[in-house]
Amino acid sequence: MGETTAPEKIRIGLTVNDVRHDLLVEPRTLLADLLRGDLELTGTHIGCEQGVCGACTVLVDGTATRSCLVFAAQLDGAAVRTVESLAGADGTLHPIQQAFHENHGLQCGFCTPGMLMGACELLERTAEPDPDEVREALGGNLCRCTGYQNIVRSVCAAGRTMTADRNSTATTTATTTATTTNGAQA
Amino acid sequence: MSTVEDRPTTDTTGSPRENGGRRWVGRSVLRKEDPKLLAGRAVYVGDVALPGMLHGAVLRSPHAHARIVSIDTSAAEAIPGVAAVLTGAQAAELVNPMPAFCAEPVPQTAIAIERVRYPGEAVAIVAATDRYVAEDACAAIKVEYEVLPAVVDPEAAMAPDATRIHETLDSNVAFHRTLDFGDVDADVARAHTVVRTRARWHRMGAQPMETAGAVASWNPFDQSMTVYSNSNFHNFLPWAFAGMLGVSTNRLRMIPCAVGGSFGSKHFITKVLAIAGALTKATGRPVQYLEDRVDNISANDNVGCDRIYDAELALTEDGEMISLTLRIIDDYGAYFQFAHGQHGNAMAQPTGPYRIGSLRYDVSCVLTNKVQQGFFRGAGADPGNFVLERLVDKASEELGIDRAEIRRRNFIAPEQFPFKTPPGNVYDSGDYAAVLDRALEIAGIDKWRAEQERLRAEGRYLGIGLATCQERTGYNASEWWFLYDNPPLPATSTPESVKLDVDAMGGVRVEIGCPLWGNSPETVVSQVVAEEFGIDPADVSVTYADSTTGAMSAGPGGSRLTIMLSGATRGASRTIRDKMIRIAAHAMEMDPDDVECVDGTFRAKGAPSTSMSMAEIGMRAHLFFHDTPEEESSGLVAVHTYDHPYSTPPSADRKDMGAFYPMVSHACHIPIVEVDPETGVVTLRAYYAVNDCGTLMNPTLVEGQIVGGIVQGIGAALMEEYRYGEDGSLDTPTFREYLMPSMHEVPEIVVEHLETPSPFTEYGVKGAGEGGRLVAPTAIASAVDDALKPLGVWVDELPMTPERVVGMVAGAREGRP
Amino acid sequence: MKPAAFAYLAPRDLDEALDQLAEHGADARVLAGGQSLVRLMNARLASPAVVVDINRVPGLDSLAVTNGSGPATLRLGATVRQRTSELSPDVAAHAPLLVEAGAHVAHAPVRSRGTVVGSVAFADPSAELPTALLALDGRVVVRSRAGERTIEADDFFTGAFTNALDAGEMVVAIEVPGSPPGTGSAFVEVARRHGDLPVCGVAAVVTRSDDGRVSSARIALCGADERPVRARAAEDALTGSDGGADAVAEAAARAADGLSPRGDCHGSPDFRRHLARILTGRAVSTAVHRAAGEA
Repeated sequence: MGETTAPEKIRIGLTVNDVRHDLLVEPRTLLADLLRGDLELTGTHIGCEQGVCGACTVLVDGTATRSCLVFAAQLDGAAVRTVESLAGADGTLHPIQQAFHENHGLQCGFCTPGMLMGACELLERTAEPDPDEVREALGGNLCRCTGYQNIVRSVCAAGRTMTADRNSTATTTATTTATTTNGAQA
Repeated sequence: MSTVEDRPTTDTTGSPRENGGRRWVGRSVLRKEDPKLLAGRAVYVGDVALPGMLHGAVLRSPHAHARIVSIDTSAAEAIPGVAAVLTGAQAAELVNPMPAFCAEPVPQTAIAIERVRYPGEAVAIVAATDRYVAEDACAAIKVEYEVLPAVVDPEAAMAPDATRIHETLDSNVAFHRTLDFGDVDADVARAHTVVRTRARWHRMGAQPMETAGAVASWNPFDQSMTVYSNSNFHNFLPWAFAGMLGVSTNRLRMIPCAVGGSFGSKHFITKVLAIAGALTKATGRPVQYLEDRVDNISANDNVGCDRIYDAELALTEDGEMISLTLRIIDDYGAYFQFAHGQHGNAMAQPTGPYRIGSLRYDVSCVLTNKVQQGFFRGAGADPGNFVLERLVDKASEELGIDRAEIRRRNFIAPEQFPFKTPPGNVYDSGDYAAVLDRALEIAGIDKWRAEQERLRAEGRYLGIGLATCQERTGYNASEWWFLYDNPPLPATSTPESVKLDVDAMGGVRVEIGCPLWGNSPETVVSQVVAEEFGIDPADVSVTYADSTTGAMSAGPGGSRLTIMLSGATRGASRTIRDKMIRIAAHAMEMDPDDVECVDGTFRAKGAPSTSMSMAEIGMRAHLFFHDTPEEESSGLVAVHTYDHPYSTPPSADRKDMGAFYPMVSHACHIPIVEVDPETGVVTLRAYYAVNDCGTLMNPTLVEGQIVGGIVQGIGAALMEEYRYGEDGSLDTPTFREYLMPSMHEVPEIVVEHLETPSPFTEYGVKGAGEGGRLVAPTAIASAVDDALKPLGVWVDELPMTPERVVGMVAGAREGRP
Repeated sequence: MKPAAFAYLAPRDLDEALDQLAEHGADARVLAGGQSLVRLMNARLASPAVVVDINRVPGLDSLAVTNGSGPATLRLGATVRQRTSELSPDVAAHAPLLVEAGAHVAHAPVRSRGTVVGSVAFADPSAELPTALLALDGRVVVRSRAGERTIEADDFFTGAFTNALDAGEMVVAIEVPGSPPGTGSAFVEVARRHGDLPVCGVAAVVTRSDDGRVSSARIALCGADERPVRARAAEDALTGSDGGADAVAEAAARAADGLSPRGDCHGSPDFRRHLARILTGRAVSTAVHRAAGEA
């Protein structure tokens, strides 16, 4: 040990926001730096590199994860989702983003991507969380601007909107089906 | 009581009380800044990537005080990917010492030369292909130190035989001055009661989620430098940065980035600018230097006040406050770059919302082996509010006057505005009793008192806090130097500029001189333009100017931005609107006085069908010179620089500091806490705040500022503190030790607004950026006090950590003060 | 704040992992959840030459209650996530203290990746899970190429961030023995901020016999010494008592006997001793009530 030869790079296949990447990474490259550097996904922010602030939170195989505490080399075969995956290419905001917008859930925006990704995971699990559930899920994400109140409101509101959207989609589908059935009968 | 001469009068038509017809000013328009931030598409300085860019890292001193005996960089230079390694001496050949506002000889370079004076001071810097390699290189640098005695305690530092931090000074007391306003001795002599406190306000820091950083790119061929950074002074003091970077002032281009919070910490960031600047000059390649969290906490100048107060409030028998004496020892750390600006700032409102007739302000600025003070939300007025409100509570106790009542008796009354305070600053307007009454009402004090009684029967300790405080807004940089007689710099204005243009198709675009610092400049500017032209704010395009526009902007700071941006934008809007009226009148063959701008069209008064659209006028102004009035030049563009709306210079004898911070907001906060006296844990149960910041530009955004500030105040009250070991080592270098509130430490916060418009500003707006943090710490102290009153506790030190609370309880039990 | 270079190994089975650990000895660190190790590596407080990532080793993620010849035993493998453990009905039924203590550990995203065994092996003197394991009379199962051995929790924690592992060994599981009927447990702590390591925390496991007497008491403290420790004097005060207020007070009064806490910016040694007493009283009181089947 102790010689200065660079350690062998690791080959990984990583799916990021539905795009498959075959990468050769240094073992020490943190996921956060891989995303921000090689993959140019700078929406994921680095706040403390100690896992305390949560700004770098992304989804790894659907689980909210501190990307500053994971080496990219560990993630061969994993699927990562970042804030860039949320809004549509036409500028349509994801319902969670829209809720943050409508409830003034952000100021400087630096912690926001981490909050959004944490909220994504929560709303996947709990459709309409109450404020305590939001605090439990996002309590490890620090924000220095908002005082949190509007972040909690935003996530609760997003849950309601997304549930309503799902229900209305379901109703529409049901209606469509019914119409078709009626049509068939006629 | 007070006379205010030469105060400006502004057109306040359109204030809600006089004119309910305003359409956009006062509405909670959704933020324009949001979408790019939400989508992860805003460009922060860490997101800037230039071709060939290198990354910087800094080797920092592990010692608080040491002589650098030798530095060996050879192993670091040999690491593949390392492009430059610079010691302080080497960097000094490329960049100059950092600009300082102090008159005293306290030179500071971004990288230490020969001696380090605080833990974390930069010793060497590296540029490499990536940050990992740059840190490898830092780890390979060998430094030999001769450790010197560390000066940690500010009072001990004042001793004549204390180890000197700077040989250029005669003592570690860099600055001392006593200022008397009014006849303090006579007032104290006639007082019935003098209440005293010795209070301690420890150093805290801004801790924005994004650290400070810069990307500097030196072009040796034309001797120019381009710098991306998260400073907001690129259009205020770019010449000062140019001097430091060794670039001619007209060849430095500073480009603002989206900023991940500042709270006062990123105005100057001269350290990161100098580091990136030296490295790009050394390598000829662009260099990004972005602090990591340890860099930021240990060496960024985001540290706020660090004060010991001996304070006295003199009162008459019936509780009239007549005189205030503040003796302050302020631990400035190892350098004095920003001089005593935080005391100049505090001079804006030392006597609070009260009719206190005289003031003695005695300040000693002391140097120790800690990182220097910079600016942090509150900027010197924060501990002032803490101490004053503690004294008022103590007076309430000692005189047996209810704490709301004693305040009411001493409030400046609405008819006394504009009110000149003892030091000379002027308060514009307010109705403090109305704010207090409303706060007591929304808090439901009686309900909480009943709950307090119920819990006390169970052996639990609920406390109800109360504080009524000022928030001076709209700063004026004169405060940075006006405690000096020498050099006798004149007063400044601290202006703000925008450039507004209407294009040939009628589109409105505004270029602003401030960056996106977490505030909402795009939204505010759009609201004002919308108000003035009657168009939709969504149709206004707002962009950010770099430093090449030449239009001055001081940007966010001192709760000024909304005041100043609305002034600048309204001015520019009116210039262009008037020109469009003249062009339209010419086209419609009418007198300009008979043309008005309504809903984005220019129409004949009384005959709205005779009108021209903005596009019609725009095309005419841009392309058809001969169809416009003779005296008009082509185009529709205006730069408007809005100077500080009301400032007067200090008197030569400094018996009157002048009006320098005259837009004064006010708030009453009522926090409800529960204290566990055995563990010292303080839990916030509820929080009520009533705020008056004049006309609300955008109520939702104001509330966001207030709530965010309150939560920083909760941090100040309970958690946040830089701590140093006896050897001067920093015990709080990461977010694991320097604690800020999370969602779990924050109760539901109820905010209400009253609106007393400012007579000095456009639309009557005042600032609101710092108020939450200016009030919450002292309000929470009052609540803890109230909770532990049965145990005899008196809070005079923040933050109230579990250990301090347990110590206070034990101290009270043992009869210690 | 970036880690130093290291070689990354991802063994496919336990034998390969043990071979790698044997080969690299003290130069290697095992990476499971990484929520402590990567943090230290980022700060270069740990710079292992080799990192052995055991996340792809099959079998280490098993969580099971076994009913062998003796009493039921809960066994948590080395890659069982804290979040998995806290949501497991088996853990809740068998060792509710692990769930109660675990809820204080950081935040959900950290617990989703962090492992129970990793926290035990890390041996942070302030951490909740090692303390809970100690109070539960748990065991640490370690393996090397030479074979397997089991170490009592009390012998495993040798100091601040140090454990009884030899070079080439790794923890493959922890085991928690079942509790007899009439057992109640509790975990209480004071942390400066929700989710942060506690200034001090207390785990108590109390068993009452049919006559209501305390037949066994195990009290473990974190943040109160160089390592997670049992408060033996407090246990002695409680054992054999009626578990009433006086006995609890006596146990609390003795909780800090012999402790040598390290002070830091969150609490001085004296304050930690103070909290050890206060929190022992509270934890024991709750555990006694729970042992009696009360809420």
